[in-house]
Amino acid sequence: MKKVTIDPITRLEGHGKIEIFLNDQGNVDRAFLQIPELRGFEKFCEGRPAEEMPRITPRICGVCPTAHHMASTKALDDLFKVEPTSVAKKIRELMYSAFMLEDHTLHFFFLGGPDFVMGPDAPAAERNILGVIAKVGLETASKVIEIRKRCREIITLIGGKVVHPVCGVPGGVSKGITEEDRKGIVDTAKFGVEFAKFALQLFDDVVLKNKEYVDLVAGDIYKHRTYYMGLVDENNRINFYDGAIRVVDPNGKEFIKFKAQEYLDHIAEHVEPWTYVRFAYLKNVGWKGFVDGEESGIYRVAPLARLNAADSIATPLAQEACEKMYDILGGKPVHNTLAFHWARLIETLYAAERMLELAEDPELTDPNIRNIPTAIPKEGVGVVEAPRGTLYHHYKTDDRGLLEEVNLIVATQNNAAAINMSIEKAAKSLIKEGKVSDGLLNMIEMGFRAYDPCHACATHSLVPGEIPLEIIIRDSDGNIIKALRRGT
Amino acid sequence: MKTLILGLGNPFLSDDGVGIRVAQELRKRLTDVDIIEASIAGISILDYIVGYDKLIVVDSIKTGRGGPGKLHKLNLDYFDTTIHLSSLHGVDFPTAIELGKKLGYKIPKIINIYAIEIEDNFTFNEKCTTKVEACIPKVVQQIINEIKTDAEVAL
Repeated sequence: MKKVTIDPITRLEGHGKIEIFLNDQGNVDRAFLQIPELRGFEKFCEGRPAEEMPRITPRICGVCPTAHHMASTKALDDLFKVEPTSVAKKIRELMYSAFMLEDHTLHFFFLGGPDFVMGPDAPAAERNILGVIAKVGLETASKVIEIRKRCREIITLIGGKVVHPVCGVPGGVSKGITEEDRKGIVDTAKFGVEFAKFALQLFDDVVLKNKEYVDLVAGDIYKHRTYYMGLVDENNRINFYDGAIRVVDPNGKEFIKFKAQEYLDHIAEHVEPWTYVRFAYLKNVGWKGFVDGEESGIYRVAPLARLNAADSIATPLAQEACEKMYDILGGKPVHNTLAFHWARLIETLYAAERMLELAEDPELTDPNIRNIPTAIPKEGVGVVEAPRGTLYHHYKTDDRGLLEEVNLIVATQNNAAAINMSIEKAAKSLIKEGKVSDGLLNMIEMGFRAYDPCHACATHSLVPGEIPLEIIIRDSDGNIIKALRRGT
Repeated sequence: MKTLILGLGNPFLSDDGVGIRVAQELRKRLTDVDIIEASIAGISILDYIVGYDKLIVVDSIKTGRGGPGKLHKLNLDYFDTTIHLSSLHGVDFPTAIELGKKLGYKIPKIINIYAIEIEDNFTFNEKCTTKVEACIPKVVQQIINEIKTDAEVAL
């Protein structure tokens, strides 16, 4: 059997790689994504007071600290059996919306978007923010930088610290919002709504008016008929901060809706001998291998999955944009992986609109920001929608609140099986009878970027989204016959 | 000359936190220089460095050369060899610098990177490994010397 190896990590951190095994005819048999593991996280946490977790878990990696902070804070609410006050929930969701707006924006303009704005065939050196600036102008970059800055100001204001927030405490938040702050947030939220509309318009102009791109997005590439998971509110509308976890089947029909505390009844983790990543799947469907369809428990999370798993979006402009996407792509659910980019921009608009709603709520300045917990802690689960998908934090403590067990299911773990399938699909379409098309590297990269995977915490490893790639092609004796490399 | 010392790393991930450790030690001994410890990379770098004349970055590195604790003094040309400056969710260090310039920000004219060869950045631990820990005083002293030299030249 021939072996093709794609090493997705720099030579410095170099442990992760993609291995593609060819059969005797030179066609792809299987593809494997391998990631290194960070060790000892559970042990590091054990014995510490659970209240430290909202400050520790954002340090797992620097990519989505606010998501970890929030999931952890919610796990503490549940651990201490204390319901946050009404205004505390709103303040948390407001900060979280600012975070989602910023994170989604950066992904589109810095990581995912350049593939479209510059074109998938553009040299890698141009497929970045500098290339985007060269093409669409400095003004766009200034807007991106401005929205990032203003979102960060809100996160700093509410979170206490910009990179690693410290505001979440069981039962509420540590600091309220003044009327003056609130007015500033309204301004930023309005700016955010305009910005998100602008980003969707850019997507419209650059992608939707280009038949080649529409065909690419709507085409068979990385298309997988999977289940989809996302948080929804009581009306089955998407929500990033809170709600029930809803799963729809590949036909878009509700499969199950469950509470955070029930996650272990519905999610199991499959282990493969060749990777540290534990592949999450739907327990009540079962693990059937790396295949899609109704019989396979593989599900997806993150922007497109959230839209698929919900009935609608609670804010008007985002809902309109969402309907347009489903119209163009042939109705719900959409299985095309590249549509994750589109869904991400729709969610960006939702985040901005939701921010505005919350900022305009007169209750926001209510000083009643915390309920003090009184229960003896035992076990707690917290769930949020991280930009990259559903994030679960689960803690067990002794009756003093010292941690005995910690379990996390991070966003990318939910998508791990699907990411692997997408890699395999790209490999199968571009490696025929031992011949490797030049586009393989691009296709793998584009597949990755759509999911915006962050393996930093999926295995607790240091492999953020922009992954330099190396392909090593081996003959049936394991000798290297060709090597391609990029991004180092 | 307005100088910033930026210590980068994850203080919970063994040697990964060495840049933070060095910055903490420097803070005890230097008073006239701004010192920041941060677990960041990429575009976020711009949040800290804009407006300074000179930037000293202290970070971890894995080159496989020189053994754990070895200090590599680098400049921007070697950006891609340090862990935090090269690998992040979005852009690399030179792209961030270039973007900052395009946006008209005042980017430090001098950027020196103190990169410390590390052994373990895969284990959750608040301490560095022995050899990396042992090199911290030496690195701290070298940076203090550089700052002193700058001050003398300025006179």
